[in-house]
Amino acid sequence: MAERCSKWYGHVLGVSEVTWTLRGGIVGLLGPNGAGKSTLIKMMGGLLRPSRGTLRVYGENPFDRVAVRRRIGYAPEHEATWDELTALELVTAMTRLAGVPAARAGRAAEDALDRMGMTQAMHRRVRGFSKGMRQRTKLATAIAHDPDFLLLDEPLTGVDPIARADIIARIQQLGAAGKTILVSSHVLYEIEALTSEIVVIYRGQVLAEGNVYEIRALIDRHPHRIRVECDRPRAIAAALAAEDHVARLSFDRGGVVIETRDPDRCYDQLAAAVLAGGVVVSGLSSPDNNLGAVFEYLTGDGGKR
Amino acid sequence: MTTPRARSMVAPLAAVTLRRFARGKALWIAAGLAALPIGYAALRHARSAPPRSEELFAMMMLLVAVLPAMFVASSIGEEIEDRTSAYLWSRAIPRWAIVAGKLAALAPVAAVLLAASWYAAIRIATAPPPLASCAAVAAASVAGSVVAAGIATLVPRHAMVLTICYLLTDNAIGALDFSFAGLSITHQAKLIAQFADAPSPVGAPLLAMAGIAAVWAAIALLRIRRLEV
Repeated sequence: MAERCSKWYGHVLGVSEVTWTLRGGIVGLLGPNGAGKSTLIKMMGGLLRPSRGTLRVYGENPFDRVAVRRRIGYAPEHEATWDELTALELVTAMTRLAGVPAARAGRAAEDALDRMGMTQAMHRRVRGFSKGMRQRTKLATAIAHDPDFLLLDEPLTGVDPIARADIIARIQQLGAAGKTILVSSHVLYEIEALTSEIVVIYRGQVLAEGNVYEIRALIDRHPHRIRVECDRPRAIAAALAAEDHVARLSFDRGGVVIETRDPDRCYDQLAAAVLAGGVVVSGLSSPDNNLGAVFEYLTGDGGKR
Repeated sequence: MTTPRARSMVAPLAAVTLRRFARGKALWIAAGLAALPIGYAALRHARSAPPRSEELFAMMMLLVAVLPAMFVASSIGEEIEDRTSAYLWSRAIPRWAIVAGKLAALAPVAAVLLAASWYAAIRIATAPPPLASCAAVAAASVAGSVVAAGIATLVPRHAMVLTICYLLTDNAIGALDFSFAGLSITHQAKLIAQFADAPSPVGAPLLAMAGIAAVWAAIALLRIRRLEV
């Protein structure tokens, strides 16, 4: 739980007046580079101390309290690890440093690497690992001591699509096992593939939190967009142009984009117009169901930063 | 007094530090440097002009300025600079255990290496050295390691270079005949090894050296408590 929590790096603001409670499940921390995601995660992991305000994990300050850090598993954003060691040696050492007795640490490390799909490579030195293997090893170091709370900072950065899908599945398994997981990313579809619970952070401030649809509901000043791909987009546009809930109509290649303030009514009227005009519809999509649209709305800058 | 609980935190960190160190280049470079006085003594001995003990001791003190910096300062400094410290900081270990673990692993290696080098060099040159001189080299090396830890927590980026500069300055101060030479590790090492003009009991310089090391240990421990990564 963060309460009016701020962090400065000299004169540079990392996080500003964040008040936020993380309740559980898998939560995506979404924001562009430099938004403050890593700063927030590091403060939760006990690596940074808030400059102002309070931050508590399980009721304690993670920077000062050793005991609470036992319950946290942290996978940093960067790739640097102890490259001289094998994956098993690295994870075993980290597991011991997390307070697991020596007798159990080796077994726990093997299990964690196994769960991350690193069984074959666990006796190889980290120095020769690909980016995907490093990400998996980092995740193994985070989970091996069986923490309740996982902080995963950009765990999918730089991995190939197959590895990405695999890592996503493994993170979801951890979530299903009851772990509270905070995953950061600046890539919208990565978060979307992991969870529908998101927190949007931008310029050090939490702009919104909740389900994608709840967040969408917060933005009532922004019309909901529906894109219809069809053989006669102008017929659809003509049927809906006079409706008061339609804010805007635009045409693109082979379709029409309707912006409406009342999606339910719009879908009903759209169906009627298609039937009445004998229009052949080849595709129907709502770009607003994508996190990209939500982020674009919330940041108000097109999400291009 | 270290409690079993504290030992359980320091021991795994020391173990992994040693393992990493053994697989790196620093140990081999250091071993090469430590062999220099031995080679020098052997060469002079072969030419029937063995070096004086004081000469070899001065050479050892130069190595005391280099080896602890190579071991401890670079280990702590690079950990912070390379950001691998993020793993350590997020673990359930108190921050002081990070410094203690590094020192527990690396300070003895530096001390043994330098003391062995001193023993071998002086044995070739003259005769087996007195125990006090071996202790002086080892103690100076340990004190240098603690200084290195302090500097590394203050300035991680240039920890090794700054530590070498500091210990070389310490070396120069130790050679001066002023009262503040007492602040020098080298000066105290000379007193312990009985190389000073007026031989004195070993206890007082040993305590003085421990005092200098304690100041730097306090700096390291205070700094690491507040250090963010």
